[in-house]
Amino acid sequence: MCVGLPARVVTLKNGMAVVDASGAKREVSAELLDELEPGDYVMVHAGIAIAKITEEDESETDRLMEEL
Amino acid sequence: MSKTVTLAHGAGGRQTSELIDQVFKAHFANPDLTSDDAAVLSVEGGKLAFTTDGFIVSPAEFPGGNIGKLSICGTVNDLACMGAKPLYLSCAFVIEEGFPMEKLEEIAAAMEKTAAEAGVKIVAGDTKVAGKGQVDGVFITTTGIGRIQENVETSGFKAKPGDAVIVSGDVGRHGCTILLARNEFGIEADVTSDCAPLWGTVKSMLDTTKDIHVIRDATRGGVGTVLYEIAEQSKVGIRLNAADIPVADGVKGVCGMLGLEPLYLACEGRLVIFAPKEEAPALLETLRQGKYSANAAIIGEVTDEMPGRVMMKTEIGAETLLPPPGGELLPRIC
Amino acid sequence: MEEAVLKKSAKEIIESYDGPKLRIMEVCGTHTHEIFRLGIRRILSDQIELISGPGCPVCVTPVGFIDEAIMLALDHHATICTFGDLIRVPGTKKSLAAARSEGAKIQIVYSPIDAVEYAKEHPEEEVVFLAVGFETTTPASCLAVKKAKEAGLTNFSLLTANKTMPNAYQALKGSADAFLYPGHVNAITGTRLCEELAEQGISGAVCGFTAKEIMTALAVVVTKLQEGKNFFVNCYPRVVTRDGSRSAQAIVEEFMEPCDSEWRGLGMILQSGLKLKEEYKDYDARIHFDLPPVKGKINPACRCGDVLQGKCKPSDCKIFGKGCTPLHPVGACMVSSEGACSAYYQYGGISNE
Repeated sequence: MCVGLPARVVTLKNGMAVVDASGAKREVSAELLDELEPGDYVMVHAGIAIAKITEEDESETDRLMEEL
Repeated sequence: MSKTVTLAHGAGGRQTSELIDQVFKAHFANPDLTSDDAAVLSVEGGKLAFTTDGFIVSPAEFPGGNIGKLSICGTVNDLACMGAKPLYLSCAFVIEEGFPMEKLEEIAAAMEKTAAEAGVKIVAGDTKVAGKGQVDGVFITTTGIGRIQENVETSGFKAKPGDAVIVSGDVGRHGCTILLARNEFGIEADVTSDCAPLWGTVKSMLDTTKDIHVIRDATRGGVGTVLYEIAEQSKVGIRLNAADIPVADGVKGVCGMLGLEPLYLACEGRLVIFAPKEEAPALLETLRQGKYSANAAIIGEVTDEMPGRVMMKTEIGAETLLPPPGGELLPRIC
Repeated sequence: MEEAVLKKSAKEIIESYDGPKLRIMEVCGTHTHEIFRLGIRRILSDQIELISGPGCPVCVTPVGFIDEAIMLALDHHATICTFGDLIRVPGTKKSLAAARSEGAKIQIVYSPIDAVEYAKEHPEEEVVFLAVGFETTTPASCLAVKKAKEAGLTNFSLLTANKTMPNAYQALKGSADAFLYPGHVNAITGTRLCEELAEQGISGAVCGFTAKEIMTALAVVVTKLQEGKNFFVNCYPRVVTRDGSRSAQAIVEEFMEPCDSEWRGLGMILQSGLKLKEEYKDYDARIHFDLPPVKGKINPACRCGDVLQGKCKPSDCKIFGKGCTPLHPVGACMVSSEGACSAYYQYGGISNE
């Protein structure tokens, strides 16, 4: 449906962000996210950062399993 | 088969085999016609390997090489895969009107240097110039002949259950480099082509052991296509361990962005080797000392289960199929 | 500590489940793809059936849309910018790939915004972006129109086939015991709709895309289904919030409005699509080129529609693997590697059933 790519924000300028995903860099639109800073992790889809990523999947899934 | 030739027919996968089988083999079939990298011809005093390859890469220059270096490596490597020391090459140029002379010289210089490294002589050539727009820059075809070393017999038909599957280095770098160099997707990564002449690599392996069943260079269809070809030709199954397949970080990142499988990206300096399991550790040690094979790895084994298929153990420990080669590589985004 | 040892891992839960048969629909094509790629079906208990839902944009895009795109490319000589997979989808007579070999100009792009850049650099060409996709992708298409307008471009337009999920969930209600919701759609829309669906008796969990996340979401769904109550769980909180992305929702509302939409296989679903608003009609390729209404013809043997609704498995279709293969696809589900038929075929033999 919607391939998402987790990537780290390297630089920000005029609503665009350069993101890095395992060494591959690309400029994407950051217009849809507020308060973004270099070093943040974002989910990128079709050339736009659609969401901030707030933690690793490891801790997220550990917590879900604990709550189960 | 479709009524017209499509780009997928040139992608090195199934449609390419279909085209070759239904059009070319139908007309050219004879006992010496090969489906390996080079034909093996018996002549007085030994066996020769003979092959040809056309190069149309765009752009003609890319990080790690240019079309000239590529045109030597491609043919030298096809000969080397048959266990043949490359001896002589011919080359044919089709050049677009208006092509800068300076670039042509750079290409020729790269060919000179690469041929010298591979120990091969360029002994014949042909030059054609086509009108503007009839070709894209420059196309090169090289043809090569080499002497097959004694007691060496490698072929895609010879993989056997119990063989280890080795790759001579990280996969997909050339394809990834070209994709980035075309700059269609605005992606940057620190990736250079793996393009390299591999006779030295093959020779070092043959000096380690002659007991090697298959050597094949992974080119446009990538390592995945080679594995499927050999699984079919040798009627064996291949079991890979995903975690053992070497992939450079930048290649991983680009593949992640575009939804591509690194095993299906082109290589121009990578060998896929099938040899008895007992020989594998020594071969690996030899390879890892080589200039072009420092990150060689054993990526799997040959089984008698599921002949013709390539299976992969995934990160969750389950076994699934490596999807067979699918033709034109299309980024999956949405 | 002892309790932790006794507790089953997500993988153990989905491997060892032996209760009544459960049917779980992974709505999203990327989930379908990852589930096959990772071999999750291979480890899943026989009592858990995964149904591949309609969340592959390529798969639900109707035949007529491809015909329109080909018409734009061949008759109007427009340059088509598109995501890669679409070019192999068969239209009534041919695919965009076939049109390309007849001279159609087709550019594969990573982002709709790249299509705007292309239009800027090629003012002599008419550029049409094929706007397919769900809530996740539509904001990017709207941003593209915004940028085209800002740049004063008159040679850029969208051929829209954007889809929205809410009414599709209603149409699919009853196809499964629970949904694995498409995490990246929820990243935009938030989770309130899922909560409402749970109140209506449609259970589900929002699912992320790593191996751990998919197995965990499945384990949560399997465990909750056994408890017998309707439920909704957000199993992807690191990306998905309750409100979703307000700015993405706002840009879509600014440029687009709901419309009825045809889903390949499922037919017309009311208010399940989006089109450009009247004030942006200059960027609507159908208006810009004055396209006639197009009704595509689907191959009658193809059962993609039943596959998408979980009514049959790909292998139940008569032409599966015979007349219809990834190299020569008849139905759209065989085209995209996210399509259920393609995934069954590519990973066939050992990883399905």
